Amino acid sequence: MRPVSLRFVYATLIGLVLAGIVHVAAVLAIPALSETDAVSRARTSENLDHPQSIYTVATGDDPSPAEAWLPIPDPAVAVGVCAYNLADGPMRVSARTGALSLSLAAHGRRGAFYAVTDQAAVRGALDLVILTRAQYDEALADDDENDPSRDVRIVAPDTRGFVVVRVIASLPSQRPAANAAVQAVSCTTDTPADDTATGKDASGKGTGR
Amino acid sequence: MKLTIPDAFGRASPARAPRHGAVRFILRLWRKSSIAGLAVYVLALGALLGLASADWATSGGYPFGGVQVGSWTAWPRAGAANADPYTRAVNARRGEIPLAVGEGLLLTAAVDDSGQALDATCTYRIGGATPPARAWTVTVAGRGPREPGRAPLREGFTSTEVLRAADGRFAIMLAPDVQPGNWLPSPRASGPVRLALRLYDTPVAASVGALDRNSVPAITRLGCAP
Repeated sequence: MRPVSLRFVYATLIGLVLAGIVHVAAVLAIPALSETDAVSRARTSENLDHPQSIYTVATGDDPSPAEAWLPIPDPAVAVGVCAYNLADGPMRVSARTGALSLSLAAHGRRGAFYAVTDQAAVRGALDLVILTRAQYDEALADDDENDPSRDVRIVAPDTRGFVVVRVIASLPSQRPAANAAVQAVSCTTDTPADDTATGKDASGKGTGR
Repeated sequence: MKLTIPDAFGRASPARAPRHGAVRFILRLWRKSSIAGLAVYVLALGALLGLASADWATSGGYPFGGVQVGSWTAWPRAGAANADPYTRAVNARRGEIPLAVGEGLLLTAAVDDSGQALDATCTYRIGGATPPARAWTVTVAGRGPREPGRAPLREGFTSTEVLRAADGRFAIMLAPDVQPGNWLPSPRASGPVRLALRLYDTPVAASVGALDRNSVPAITRLGCAP
């Protein structure tokens, strides 16, 4: 009797160790395998040039639409996402600041790697360019020394990710404006050909203001 | 030594075997090769227990990373790139986009200051001061879907719209019945309630350890409906 139970105890111990290994592996694999995570769900907005609203605050009698997939959204904050795929070129996010507080946060697969609020805006404009390390080096090399770019350049950890736009409606009367402010942000892909052109355009607009 | 195995199961099998053919088959398999049976047992135990525990650990809220401040729990690392694997897995499964450190800070509360769970039938006073922030919101974040018959009166207060006393302090009444001042209706007739305090553009997101009980709103239970 004794050898059997001893062998059974050993097997159980090995099973528990194996369970621990499977547990750790499963937890580590969930973010990579998940199809309901924010990066995968935001991918549908990759071809838009403005954020895809994922939570529009309720205005008047209109409740928040069902497109919201945030589990516990803040009812006073309008949220939009712009997905990017840096294989197509650097991603440029331009926001004009208004009366409402606005924040931009860049997320990769591992989490947020950069966040900025409208308090960092220069002359009412907030320009983020998200690029890979190679695209960053290229942009640095292409920079005109006499007319340095005023873009905030952020090197992304992976090629895919998204930028979250959050606009806070402090008062119920500001809710339509908050929804509109999310849509007013532009997220465009800088193609290599017109990279310098748009850069010049943006800086020219900035000085003109 | 080898003989003990068929002996042990030989005694047990007549009682169980007539019921299921499958059990009889497994027992016969076990008797023939106990090593293979043990290997199957080890693999099944490891896979089932490992997957079930991973599912359990990542299906609810964040298991780690909370910082207790009074009756609130702050989640400073929920959206950071160096968040722990469990937090990342929870975010991935729920499709959550957590607040980044530079954006704000989320605090949640499921109990009042005396440690009792928040209940929808009770009246609570949420008041005092908040940590420095450009804007904050206090919202009810109860689990489960909203009751269809219940009109969405109000889900939360922002720092701008909350009514304040002369000294700048505020008191929000979370209650099922109408209250004077800042009334936050209970989200459902009965059941647990969770509160979320979101601080936007706040310097404390980077130093949550500096927060103390007096810098967050106190949640005081005033009474319960019978």
